[in-house]
Amino acid sequence: MSEQQGRWRKPASLPLVAEGRPDAGTCITRRTFLHKSLLYGAAGAASYGLFPLLNTIDLAFAQTGQAFRFAWVSDTHLYPRDVNTRFVEKAVRAFQEVQAMDPPADFLIFGGDLAQLGDPVELQLGAELLKEVKIRKVFIPGEHDWYLDMGATWNKMFGASPWTFDHKGVRFIGLDTISRAPDFWTPRKMSAKERMGHMATLDGTLGGAWAAVGEEQLRWLDGTLARWPKDRPVVVFTHNPLYEYYPPWNFWVRDWLPVQEILKPFANVTNIHGHTHQVLYNEIGSMRSIGMLATSWPWPYGPEGVPALTRPMVRADPGDHFDGVGWGELSVSAAARVDNEYRMWRKTVYAAAPEDSGTDDNRNQVLSPRIADRI
Amino acid sequence: MTNPRRRYPLIAVAVVALASVGAGARWAVAHKEPHTAEQLAAFQEVFMEQVRTGDALFHGDAETEKKLGVKLSATGMACAMCHPYTSDTHPHEFPKFQEQMNEFATLRDMINWCIEKPNEGEKIDPDGPAMKALEAYIYWSNRHSKLDPGRH
Repeated sequence: MSEQQGRWRKPASLPLVAEGRPDAGTCITRRTFLHKSLLYGAAGAASYGLFPLLNTIDLAFAQTGQAFRFAWVSDTHLYPRDVNTRFVEKAVRAFQEVQAMDPPADFLIFGGDLAQLGDPVELQLGAELLKEVKIRKVFIPGEHDWYLDMGATWNKMFGASPWTFDHKGVRFIGLDTISRAPDFWTPRKMSAKERMGHMATLDGTLGGAWAAVGEEQLRWLDGTLARWPKDRPVVVFTHNPLYEYYPPWNFWVRDWLPVQEILKPFANVTNIHGHTHQVLYNEIGSMRSIGMLATSWPWPYGPEGVPALTRPMVRADPGDHFDGVGWGELSVSAAARVDNEYRMWRKTVYAAAPEDSGTDDNRNQVLSPRIADRI
Repeated sequence: MTNPRRRYPLIAVAVVALASVGAGARWAVAHKEPHTAEQLAAFQEVFMEQVRTGDALFHGDAETEKKLGVKLSATGMACAMCHPYTSDTHPHEFPKFQEQMNEFATLRDMINWCIEKPNEGEKIDPDGPAMKALEAYIYWSNRHSKLDPGRH
């Protein structure tokens, strides 16, 4: 167990990566959190025996009596095809499997980071691959889609956020959590490509606390839900999680507290998000939060802040680029509960033992923020 | 082991004696003098320059790669995309049996495996400047980790 464990944890309200910042933000090791998750963690099914195991979402809502499913794909991180065919192959596989769902999903939500560097060539490639999916498609952006041209190509091709629609008794909402980065590029006279490069670096220091819902969108969210009955289900799609998990990697939105204030009166809220590229689960009040897999690559769990309710995923094999990734199939149960099935392209989703997990294999690891981009 | 500092008076006497009979022994004195703040700062700067270079390489900086004549990836991916803050590089666990290689491996072996396999880049000189810089950055970032060699 690390001696760092008992040290003070940085409050969320402090600036993220000030010059000379101590390593307090990384002082609690993964072991701490896995340990907690093993002690208090959510019970769950044992390892899945299916192959491939898909990452899907099923919804069945009692008030309408109509069960339905929908699918989530996100974080494909496509490069131009001549740079990287690996990510293309995985995106194609996910889209083909969504289209093959039987009975079919009612719609596909694409959860952001279609492109790697916001290049129109990458976004166009994504649009072409998405033609494989014939069912209804809805989109929210990720930061990788946005910061080359500040969302111009994305909005033109995939539509603006936020949006909402009601489907079989459930109110679905799509938010933009990625477009509100503090302007670090103008004072530094950066090119659009340089700006995009920094925003595309998860552990970069310049972007700071860029993930946010924003005041205007908060008002919109409040208004959208004003006349929605408090006991009826709400599903909120976001790229970033709507709670504080690990701010240095923007595994949060910086204004998650006012978001929670708006959602608190509702008895049945499910947040489904991307960005974290890992098996993740949390509950705050009446809001459940489900982190979805990427098709591109898995992120390690944050050095601290992994929700105690998360059952850690198995360690991915770095030699197999189809390992630790996939998509999601979701359903609404008769009790109006959103259930998720990870469609991970391997036999086993969850770690069977701590040493095989993505968390407790790091009991002696203590990390520091990077240094070379502190300019 | 004898504390080198306890020998300073003896060395000083010896040096004075040697200096009195001729030149050529001053190197022994210079090496044993306590470090000045300026010297320590210079040593640290040498180290941190390597750390910054390694950080740049680790994050896929094309200019640094070109300068050092290495190609760490052919997929567009950089080390940091799977290892933010050098997560899961585990420098404190090497040397150890590394399953992917099916052999007992050092951190440098593992760095080259990652370059060659997942990144599809070109292996680098295990004793060259790019490797030393990558190693410096990974160790610096994990400087609070606890040594745990052999752990898998």
